[in-house]
Amino acid sequence: MTKRPALIAPAIIAGVLLVALVALYFADSAGALPSFIPGHQTGSGHHHIKHGIAAGLLGIACLIFAWFQTGPTDRGHDAARAR
Amino acid sequence: MHLISYGQALVLGLMQGATELFPVSSLGHSVILPGLRGWNIHQNDDYFLTFLVATHLATALVLLAFFWRDWVRIVAGLGRSLRDRQIDTDDADAKLGWLLVVATIPAGIIGLTLESALRSVFASPTSASIFLFCNGLMLFAAERLRHHAPVRQTSRYSDERIARHVGFRESVWVGTAQAIALLPGFSRSGATMSGGLLVGLSNEDAARFSFLLATPIIGAAAALKLPELLGSSGAGVRGPALVGAAAAAVTAYLSVRFLVRFFQTNRLTPFAVYCTVAGALCVAVFALT
Repeated sequence: MTKRPALIAPAIIAGVLLVALVALYFADSAGALPSFIPGHQTGSGHHHIKHGIAAGLLGIACLIFAWFQTGPTDRGHDAARAR
Repeated sequence: MHLISYGQALVLGLMQGATELFPVSSLGHSVILPGLRGWNIHQNDDYFLTFLVATHLATALVLLAFFWRDWVRIVAGLGRSLRDRQIDTDDADAKLGWLLVVATIPAGIIGLTLESALRSVFASPTSASIFLFCNGLMLFAAERLRHHAPVRQTSRYSDERIARHVGFRESVWVGTAQAIALLPGFSRSGATMSGGLLVGLSNEDAARFSFLLATPIIGAAAALKLPELLGSSGAGVRGPALVGAAAAAVTAYLSVRFLVRFFQTNRLTPFAVYCTVAGALCVAVFALT
């Protein structure tokens, strides 16, 4: 897998934001969500649990992506194996 | 008085278990059959969705059991790659595991966000029949447009071939294709098998990838709605749901055993013919009645 170290920081930031979004979806009703967040419905008392799960999945995916980007490069790995 | 009779539960369960894995749309058949038989079952009612949860859960458990050894290898591969922070090019289990994860994410997100809306709009027998017809056309197109897998396979095992041929980008496309099955009449396994053929897998490998993909997505969808089965929505339907789940488990097991062998030498064409003919006939029947 090609490593892109430049993407580590954005992926971590996106992952953390999405995980924070999970808490927001679980804690707040649709009416209480900020208007720029998907699922906002003025006056609604419904909790968007599914939106929260979807955000959590994406967040975890971003964090796992960042984790892999911090790993050894293929070339380094091959050299290590050869040693 | 049960909302679904035990006889109906048995028939719907047997059909769901088989059609979930055959590329012919289980949801479409669950919508069309009650319409054809004149059963007073409404596809958007809570009790029917609860019944479907039970049958889907049974199917997912059967798939998990059938491929148990493969899943143990795949999960071990995922663990190895996380530990090493990279996917070794020789580690087919790890690569396959991450392909399955990557393919599951888009389908999961689309399903979580759009499932209710799509179901409420398209869960009529007529629209399911039209989509069943379209599903047949999709299977025909996949066989027509496929990138032919090499005649001499370079790897002995199916998982190695999948890991070698399918990249993460292709996996996202195959996974996204699953989402079309949110429309009753389109088949999830049909969409993933078609996607597999289009990225260069053989029918055997595309079917295996599709069955492995089915387990997390069907299992997660069922587990998410399990509280409805156990809660007040399940009142009056738990008995028939149990019968339906047992029937679905039996036919799901027989289906996966049959299909794994079938696709070693055969194509999607018979299912394409079935879907187009059955879809067209059902559209005609619903139009005339």
